[in-house]
Amino acid sequence: MKLSLRLILFSSLTILLVICIAYVSILDSRVINKLEGVLWTVPAKVYARPLELAEGGNINIGQLKKELEILSYEQTKKMPDNPGEFSLNQNSASIFIRGFKSQEPGFYKLQFEKGRIKSIKRQDGISIDLIQLEPLSIGGMFPSHLQDRILLNLSQVPTDFQEMLLIVEDKNFYNHRGISLKSITRAFIRNTRALGIEEGGSTITQQLAKSLFFSPEQTIRRKIKEAIAALLIEIHYTKEEILLAYINDVFVAQAGRRAIHGFGLASQFFFGTDLKNLTLDQKALLVGMLKGPSLYSPKKNPDRARARRDLVLTLVKNDSLISEEEYLELKDRPLKIIPPTFKSLSKYPAFNDIVTLDLRKNFDDSDLRTKGLRIITNLDPVVQDYLEESIRKTKAKLEKRYGSQLNELEGAGIVVDSFSGEVVAAVGSTKPNIYGFNRAINAVRPIGSLIKPFIYLSALQQYGKYNLSTLLDDSKLSVPLSGDNVWEPNNFDKKFHGDVPLHLALSESYNVATTRLGMELGYSAVQETFTKLGIKKRISNYPSIFVGSFEMSPLQAIQAYQTIASEGFFSPLNSIRSVESSEDVLSLSYPYKVEQRFRSEPIYLLKFVLKQTFISGTARGYPLKVLEKWKVGGKTGTSDEQRDSWFVGYAGNYLMLVWLGFDDNRKSPLTGRSGALQVWKSFMSKLDPLSYEVRRPSRIKYEWVDVKDGLLSGQKCKGSIFIPFIEGTEPEIIPQNRKKCRINKESYTSKVINKIKEAIEAK
Amino acid sequence: MSLIMGCASSSKKETDFYDLEVEKFSSSVKSLLTDLEFLKKEILKVNANKPSIQRILIEADNLWMKKDLKQASSTLERGLRIAKDESSLYLRLAHLRLEQGLVKESSAFAERGLLNKGASSWELLLLKIYSAQKN
Repeated sequence: MKLSLRLILFSSLTILLVICIAYVSILDSRVINKLEGVLWTVPAKVYARPLELAEGGNINIGQLKKELEILSYEQTKKMPDNPGEFSLNQNSASIFIRGFKSQEPGFYKLQFEKGRIKSIKRQDGISIDLIQLEPLSIGGMFPSHLQDRILLNLSQVPTDFQEMLLIVEDKNFYNHRGISLKSITRAFIRNTRALGIEEGGSTITQQLAKSLFFSPEQTIRRKIKEAIAALLIEIHYTKEEILLAYINDVFVAQAGRRAIHGFGLASQFFFGTDLKNLTLDQKALLVGMLKGPSLYSPKKNPDRARARRDLVLTLVKNDSLISEEEYLELKDRPLKIIPPTFKSLSKYPAFNDIVTLDLRKNFDDSDLRTKGLRIITNLDPVVQDYLEESIRKTKAKLEKRYGSQLNELEGAGIVVDSFSGEVVAAVGSTKPNIYGFNRAINAVRPIGSLIKPFIYLSALQQYGKYNLSTLLDDSKLSVPLSGDNVWEPNNFDKKFHGDVPLHLALSESYNVATTRLGMELGYSAVQETFTKLGIKKRISNYPSIFVGSFEMSPLQAIQAYQTIASEGFFSPLNSIRSVESSEDVLSLSYPYKVEQRFRSEPIYLLKFVLKQTFISGTARGYPLKVLEKWKVGGKTGTSDEQRDSWFVGYAGNYLMLVWLGFDDNRKSPLTGRSGALQVWKSFMSKLDPLSYEVRRPSRIKYEWVDVKDGLLSGQKCKGSIFIPFIEGTEPEIIPQNRKKCRINKESYTSKVINKIKEAIEAK
Repeated sequence: MSLIMGCASSSKKETDFYDLEVEKFSSSVKSLLTDLEFLKKEILKVNANKPSIQRILIEADNLWMKKDLKQASSTLERGLRIAKDESSLYLRLAHLRLEQGLVKESSAFAERGLLNKGASSWELLLLKIYSAQKN
């Protein structure tokens, strides 16, 4: 009997032991999996381009101010003496930059002259050629749990920060084995007296174990589980590894749906710079928040956060890490945190969509969500800000003018560096910061007259047959279709204009002349031009495509204009500059791709006409001085019954396309001129871009011709216009009645006048 | 070098260099112009007008010497974002692209450089050579 009782007891103990061993080994594998899995799952971070400030660089003081404001620099009246401060004078700016990669934090003074940086000087007066501001963090590619972090290695964590953390959270860290009996006893007595959980007594290892199980419950059972897990962690990892895991994993703040974990990201989130660049008071604020990230949040509860920071500073002073004087000075400092750069998944949803499309060509989803990649995009936050503001303000103005019928007006805008094809800003809605249908990519709509330059470019390439003064027929046209159907295009002014020179047919956007031209050229010739412009879609064999029934998205349409704006050089649109691994190693570069798709002469002729849009066409009204400075060109587009309002135009190196319309495709009171162009104008007046001098192709010659019949004319002849030709293609006939008013071409005066005129036109 | 300069000095105006047709050069001049090592040496001597770009050129040239063509290229592109009127950048990119085996792109960079109004006669001539490489 006694024996069997013993046997039962022994068996029970054995079973219990087996269960315990099994439980511990399950826990063990769970702990390891979590530590090696979730903790090192780092979402890709997306950044704007870092702004380079170079001596002679194109940026005015207003744009620099905007950039600094977006980066949450604080404008001061005194000379800036802390990272993240700046001051402005009439023609100079002083900045204490925060530092980024190899760019050390420090004070710099910049002088401006005529929209450019004249000089950059360090605090000691030494001239500097080039400095770089840190890039704005604009979003991330988050896994489903939405935890975000930046992984640090121990060398990136300042020693004083490590010491401060241990003083506050676990003074005995290097002496215990995961749990501290002293702390547990103290907490146990206090909690028993209070009949509940009042004190934790957890070591850093226990806190790490706790965070790995993602459970906020405060029970004795969980505490035991936590203690076992802490012991297991201590068996598998060194103290340095545990401390680093804690520094990278601890939950510090919540930003919308995104959870901010680890001090690497917390430092960027609250102060916009690396942990290594923080001052002691900033470090104390972060350490203080661990007691209750929400309760001591400097954003939600600044007074509590400050009191907690000061307490951390007191503890640090008591431990002789800082002197009494330092303590008093640090305690006096305000909190000075920056607002979050983005709240949900991205600050700029439409741009983020384009980045995602570009990334998917080279990376799979799991790489983006786990490998901690740093994606440096081409986004220019200042340009983006101008674009968003222009769309918002123009819509408000239009609503005021046309009333509530425009309440649901939608829009899209894209800005591209025409030289390189870099997408620098994008908006996919009249509410730019809200996630939803992205019209910049997905609104495929009839492009109206935006198609016309492509057809005229097809003609101008056949320069033996077409030049700018070639007469096109704009009389009534009937095109037989299948059955007894006939299609008869009409002009916007509902009139027919007879024979018109090619340049006028394009600048006045005559539908009938353009249809005839397209049909004369043939679908395959036009298709070839489309393909060279980067349009992947095939055109259908219907004449209505020549006057704008062709459908494109804003992103597709701006690609086609990039080649025109860029003197015939095609560069595929690209939103990404580089992708780096978390160790700052270049994973993938996105080099400039340039291909000459058109000779410079026909492009020069086309751009001459697109410039007329601003001189005598739909975008007229700018002073000549501005047009010369910007080197502009553009085209309005309005689809059937004014369902779509388009404008595309370049100024300096910026090419911008705007679309306005309704999602349900209803009619609107807006034309390209009264709608989309107004957004473009508002944007460019803010940006006020500079351009650089481009050489005129040597085979281009200017000649006086009659604006109506396209034949030779003279400067003094009525109705004459001075336009470019490819040498040898200019008209030869001079009508009898113009011989007198045409100055002899060979005369010296005529030559000088023409040269001056050519120089002005070429500008 | 003297052969090229001789050829170049026969032109009176700067624009004449822009109009030069490399294809019509004599075979001895042509053979020199296809000597890529010689051309590279000449290109590395072309300096920038702006000090900030000169600093970038030095950085890119060092990377180039270490055969890190990708980083050298991206450094030069960084320069183009700051200044689009520096022939030194176009020339280096034209040669780099040739080394990367991208002949069409090399020619395109040279053609782009040729549109730069501030290019000197010597820079124009070198750019002409690269733009003709595609042939």
